[in-house]
Amino acid sequence: MPSLAAFARPADCEAFREKSGPELVGTEVTSVLQLKNVHKAFSGVPALAGVDAALSENSYVSLLGPSGSGKTTLLRVIAGFDQPDGGEILFAGKRIDSIPPHERGIGFVFQNFALFPHLSVAQNIAFGLSNRAVDPVTDTKIVAAKVRDMIGLVGLSGLEDRAVTQISGGQKQRVALARTLVTEPSMVLLDEPLGALDANLRTRMRGELRTIRERCGVTFLHVTGSETEALAMGDTVLVLDRGRIAQSADAGTLYSRPASADVARFLNCYNIFPGAVSGDAFESPVGRLALGGTRLTSGKQAYAIRYDRVAIRPRDAAAAGDEVRIEASFVASEYSGAAINSFFTLDDGRVFEVETHLSHAAPEAFEEKARYALVWKREDALVFD
Amino acid sequence: MTMAATHHDTSVETAAPPTRKQPDRTALLLAPGVLWMLLFLVAPILMMVYVSFWTQTTFKIEPTLTLKSWVAFFSSETYLGALWTTIRIWLIVLVSTLLVGYPAALFVGLFVKNKTLSTALLVLCVIPFWTSFLIRVLAWRPMLGKEGAINMILMKIGVITQPIEVLLFSELSVIIGMTQIYCVFMVGPIAFMLGRIDPSVIEAAQDLGAGFWRIFRTIILPLSMPGVVVGAIFVSVMVLGEFATSAALSGRKVNLLGNIIVTQVGSLKWAFAAVAGVVLTILMGAVVAALLRVVDLRKEL
Ligand SMILES: Nc1ncnc2c1ncn2[C@@H]1O[C@H](COP(=O)(O)OP(=O)(O)OP(=O)(O)O)[C@@H](O)[C@H]1O
Ligand SMILES: [Mg+2]
Repeated sequence: MPSLAAFARPADCEAFREKSGPELVGTEVTSVLQLKNVHKAFSGVPALAGVDAALSENSYVSLLGPSGSGKTTLLRVIAGFDQPDGGEILFAGKRIDSIPPHERGIGFVFQNFALFPHLSVAQNIAFGLSNRAVDPVTDTKIVAAKVRDMIGLVGLSGLEDRAVTQISGGQKQRVALARTLVTEPSMVLLDEPLGALDANLRTRMRGELRTIRERCGVTFLHVTGSETEALAMGDTVLVLDRGRIAQSADAGTLYSRPASADVARFLNCYNIFPGAVSGDAFESPVGRLALGGTRLTSGKQAYAIRYDRVAIRPRDAAAAGDEVRIEASFVASEYSGAAINSFFTLDDGRVFEVETHLSHAAPEAFEEKARYALVWKREDALVFD
Repeated sequence: MTMAATHHDTSVETAAPPTRKQPDRTALLLAPGVLWMLLFLVAPILMMVYVSFWTQTTFKIEPTLTLKSWVAFFSSETYLGALWTTIRIWLIVLVSTLLVGYPAALFVGLFVKNKTLSTALLVLCVIPFWTSFLIRVLAWRPMLGKEGAINMILMKIGVITQPIEVLLFSELSVIIGMTQIYCVFMVGPIAFMLGRIDPSVIEAAQDLGAGFWRIFRTIILPLSMPGVVVGAIFVSVMVLGEFATSAALSGRKVNLLGNIIVTQVGSLKWAFAAVAGVVLTILMGAVVAALLRVVDLRKEL
């Protein structure tokens, strides 16, 4: 079955595929945080337009959304820094809307870390333990012991007495996390915690965040604008779009069954055509695309085909009966590690992207401006209507 | 000869390394300031120290070195009293400007989230300086005087039966006046430092469970200390050198070192004036040095 090779899964998905096992089966997991129709507007402009979500205990949840979709606003409302205009927030079954932030027991890791600039690494981490209003730890020995354990957990040993202005970005990130974790919050909110780090460190910290979370056993809600980060890290991925949760699913489901064309667009791995279903085909600007794939109900009609499900063939190659074929001119290719992404322009000027995995085929040299046939199986397409 | 000169010129031109331009420019930029300071600050102060050892007679002063003026200063009740009054008033004004100024700075620098508004409020603090010193002093008299507004109102509502006399022409009126004038020099630097605190740092402290007073003591106060020190230096230097407010509001009852200098200069007692001047300069230097030890400004700013 050589043709299947071209439809292989991208490397990015491998990471989440392993872990999306047991949770799916649906053992009764209690939700630690519930949001019911949460609203928030800034001077009349809605930032959150009715958010509904339930986060299960002891899990890693990522919140994916484009810039301005209300991610930070949602976290600030959950932490209590901003008041929602309406709706309910339940934490461990209790309403917390009117409880001040310092009594909520929810940790917040800021995007810019927000470390206390005049304190050392150890003092930063000890801050919450000795200064909290509820049940502060007054025994300095206990504080020191807890701080030492936490420093070990996040891998900051040796930097205890360093000023936080004199450590690297990745180390600051760990201090920010340790400072929150040491207070043993029932939940941790992380606002783009890896955004300030360089690409290398980001990949390494992904793994570390997951490991640290597993050791602490609390729920992490991790906000990110990067679809790969959201898919790789979250046991559950929430997609926020224009102040609403557009989808809440495990990474595997989200990736292969996005709930709408907009969600598919955020995932950045689907070619999407507008148009409408008519008869046994989808009427799109590039022609009639025969139906046969998964039909999904969503507000807007669209046809989506994943980058890695498309094969590039010479123009004269014929399509099999169960395939859809369009023509396009080749523009350029781009290597991205184990895959190569090829860009084509369709007849209506639209850009079409194809992802080919190098483990399955040697890279082919395509001729610029030459026309090729782009072919995929009918059943691989998603049709939203 | 001409040949040699030309040769010399070119060799200088080519030999001069490009880096030599740097110190040249530094010297050029610093020269006016340094020259000005030497001529009009350092030289006069040294001159003052020198004059303080001259011999003072009733009508003239001679450059014969003597310790007489110094001995006279430190054995005179009046002068030592003035030194003590200066220190006492300085300390009280410093504390009162801090007590009045810090909350105002806290409001302007931290609680007003809108940057434009906080700048506008700081400008408001400077409004008293839009009137002249004399006019403000003139305005305080009908306010603080025996038949002034405060006494009138307090008598009307029956809090007091006799007018409070210490309100005007007393140490209290001098302290009220100085606090009013110098408060803004305390508010400015503190508000500036508070404005630089990242709001998310305070939110982080809140999130970690700390209440307002804890956050104030452990985060806000330490981070604003450089502002407090700079404000304290401004206020100290100005209050220690004061003479006008005490002259206008104390009815000559409060004599500061500054007032001593003014009267001595007025009666041509240059040597005595110089002694008082040297004492005042040393006092200011000590105060500034002590304040600078509180916070390492170079590290914090
Ligand atoms: N303090 C504020 N005042 C007015 N409008 C605000 C405020 N904070 C956020 N908004 C608006 O609310 C919307 C959501 O903002 P939010 O910061 O939550 O987005 P985000 O998803 O975190 O974006 P990003 O990924 O860029 O951080 C935006 O349109 C933003 O302009
Ligand atoms: Mg944000």
